[in-house]
Amino acid sequence: MPISLPQPAVTKDATRDAIMDIEIDEISKAFGSATALSPVSLAIPSGALVALLGPSGSGKTTLLRILGGLEFPTSGRVLFNGQDATGLTVQDRRAGFVFQSYALFRHMTVFENIAYGLNARPRASRPPKAEITRRVTKLLDLIQLPEIGHRYPSQLSGGQRQRVALARALAIEPRMLLLDEPFGALDAKVRKELRQGLRDIHDETGLTTVFVTHDQEEAMELADLVVVMSMGRIEQIGKPQDIRARPASAFVRDFVSA
Amino acid sequence: MSDATTGKFRSATEEAPLARWALIGLAVLGLGILVAAPLIAVFAEALAQGWKAAVASLGNRDAQSAIRLTLMIAAIAVPLNAAFGIAAAWFITKFDFRGKAFLITLIDLPFSVSPVVAGLCIVLMFGTNSLVGGWLVAHGYPIVFALPGIVLATMFITFPFVARELIPVMIEQGRAEEEAALTLGATGWRTFWTVTLPNIRWALLYGVLLCNARAMGEFGAVAVVSGKIRGQTATMPITIEMLYNEYLSVAAFSMAAVLTLLALVTLLLKTALEIRHADQLASTRRH
Amino acid sequence: MRSPLIHRSPMPGLGLSMGITLTMLSLVVLLPIGALLLKGASFGAGNIWETVNRERIWAALFLSFRLSFFAALFNLVFGTLLAWVLVRYRFPGRRILDAAVDLPFALPTAVAGIALTALYAPNGPFGSLAAAVGWKIAYTQWGIFIALIFVGLPFVTRTVQPVVEEIEREVEEASATLGASRFHTLRRVILPMLMPAALTGFALSLARAVGEYGSVIFIAGNIPLKTEIAPLLIVIQLEEFNYDAAAAIGIAMLLISFAILLVINLIQVWSRRRIGYV
Repeated sequence: MPISLPQPAVTKDATRDAIMDIEIDEISKAFGSATALSPVSLAIPSGALVALLGPSGSGKTTLLRILGGLEFPTSGRVLFNGQDATGLTVQDRRAGFVFQSYALFRHMTVFENIAYGLNARPRASRPPKAEITRRVTKLLDLIQLPEIGHRYPSQLSGGQRQRVALARALAIEPRMLLLDEPFGALDAKVRKELRQGLRDIHDETGLTTVFVTHDQEEAMELADLVVVMSMGRIEQIGKPQDIRARPASAFVRDFVSA
Repeated sequence: MSDATTGKFRSATEEAPLARWALIGLAVLGLGILVAAPLIAVFAEALAQGWKAAVASLGNRDAQSAIRLTLMIAAIAVPLNAAFGIAAAWFITKFDFRGKAFLITLIDLPFSVSPVVAGLCIVLMFGTNSLVGGWLVAHGYPIVFALPGIVLATMFITFPFVARELIPVMIEQGRAEEEAALTLGATGWRTFWTVTLPNIRWALLYGVLLCNARAMGEFGAVAVVSGKIRGQTATMPITIEMLYNEYLSVAAFSMAAVLTLLALVTLLLKTALEIRHADQLASTRRH
Repeated sequence: MRSPLIHRSPMPGLGLSMGITLTMLSLVVLLPIGALLLKGASFGAGNIWETVNRERIWAALFLSFRLSFFAALFNLVFGTLLAWVLVRYRFPGRRILDAAVDLPFALPTAVAGIALTALYAPNGPFGSLAAAVGWKIAYTQWGIFIALIFVGLPFVTRTVQPVVEEIEREVEEASATLGASRFHTLRRVILPMLMPAALTGFALSLARAVGEYGSVIFIAGNIPLKTEIAPLLIVIQLEEFNYDAAAAIGIAMLLISFAILLVINLIQVWSRRRIGYV
């Protein structure tokens, strides 16, 4: 791994964690009387780059938030490396989450944003200051923005913000990377550049990565595995070329040919 | 957004139930002691010797004259300030000129001046010792220790209320509707009455409500300029002070209860406006 | 190229609205304040200093400022808590609580003054409780402190409330996904976001308290050097027709108000520059 992440006390099996497979077992979610997810099942192999593809209201973001521990399923289980993680709090999941709006802390510099997760650890497992600085610097290099540590988010471009959000999520040595419409707020040109950036970071870190998108081209181009969703159900799971070649339903055919 | 706490799970953006109830408890307790208790005290003291004593104390001549005076002051000061508020909001939101921010600061100035200092300013300007005041007194128009001075002091204190409520609303609404009316051939007045006023009426009412509550209750500035002449320049708040200092507790608190009822009605109407016409209010919240 | 003083506009009513605005502003606010400043100028800086520089006046100014500061500090904490509870939690009676926050704005100060005195006087319901443990509230600085808390109560809550409403949930969620406990999120993410608004409310509350008169004089006891507030000194000087001295103290207080106003503006500029919003 190019970024050598020293192992803190709480995560003794960090290396094994980094190649984490995810299993979604009959997960359903209802908000009041509205069903966001009918029971869905999905196995994500470790180290894969997976796209959850679908129109708005298809349940893809809900599924991602359930993986991240931001939403809890009405029924069903989530397993990480075969272990039940359904009841794990969001803090304990260590899922690097990149929000659609990036959700950077506006009152903190880029440096402070990236260091946030490390500083938030209990004193016993918090890395020393010099170590935090070293890691943040390394992450700024990784996202190819070594000079912006002292700036505030309001002074960054959209693409820079996205990369800072990614670096912030990586700083906690996540067990997986979850991204909600990571390119949704960017213009077409920047979007293309950053797609490759995400691919590179995925390949470098080897993290199991799941991202949500409504853009079929993006999903097809970037992901190893595409999960097409509609109305709270999974329509098809497959490699991009397979989905193109053999759509499983009329919906998939229409959606991917759009 | 999320369906709160379903069973054993707690949303990531919520505090633990215990912490939540502790905070709610603190809020209720704090407001109970600081706000509810004084409110209850007013009515309890007013009714300490029964309804009859309370009502009777409001019936005497000085009390009646105080009530009349306070109503008269509000009837003069509030419409004048409302007119000012509308004119100022129109001038500030419909035109672009240099020094706009400074003008708004000047309009807000009375909020940061002590009422007593406000009263002092008016005494220095219009008192018998001053140039203007001396001349006016000599010609039979006393300002200080008379109705005009009290009205002026009240206007000073309540000056920003209406303007401050209208300006943000009118900025938000923009100029497009007025421009449309003008292109359709409406005159300026017609545009104002048929386009602008209907759009700002609730905000105007809101501002007038707050302005009125403050106008009828103003004490510090009025205390300085009124001279406290019983039956002539003693407003309701001034009368409360005089009665209280004479140890006429029931009479003082009875009059206080009348003003408290006014305050409660104001709050009730204000809350009703906030619930029903939130979209048309800048609301005092968006400072 | 300097922009014109007033841009041309198709809008009607420029002359009328400008005329009413400037005339009334001058008549009601600017000329009276000008009269005070003029009086001060003719009295002379030296004389003002000599008038103000007396133990009794320093004691009153210091008392007013110190107690106002502590009352505003109390309101900073309690007002922020209130704003949070009113926006974030749903519980029976929330609307009433929300409306009750405004009571100090709506209730005449003289009414508040006698009501608080009735409560905290040694024979009042709260006063007698305090007296049982040997604590005297009314007619001491404690009484002034409580009255100043009352009048400043709404400011912090009303400035912080809209900011709490605008916090994006995603920011809080981001903090949680990075492993921060709820307490850490509140302290490191949410409180700093509320701070500029809370400080503005604090300054407004402070400005109001420094000038407050009606709700304080009844409960204060008004003993020179001990419980005499600055506005009362002006009233006393005026009652003795001592206009120069009244003007001198008035100018001192006006300067304090302007200083606070300046601080409020600086807070907002600082906040806007740093994080792009107020």
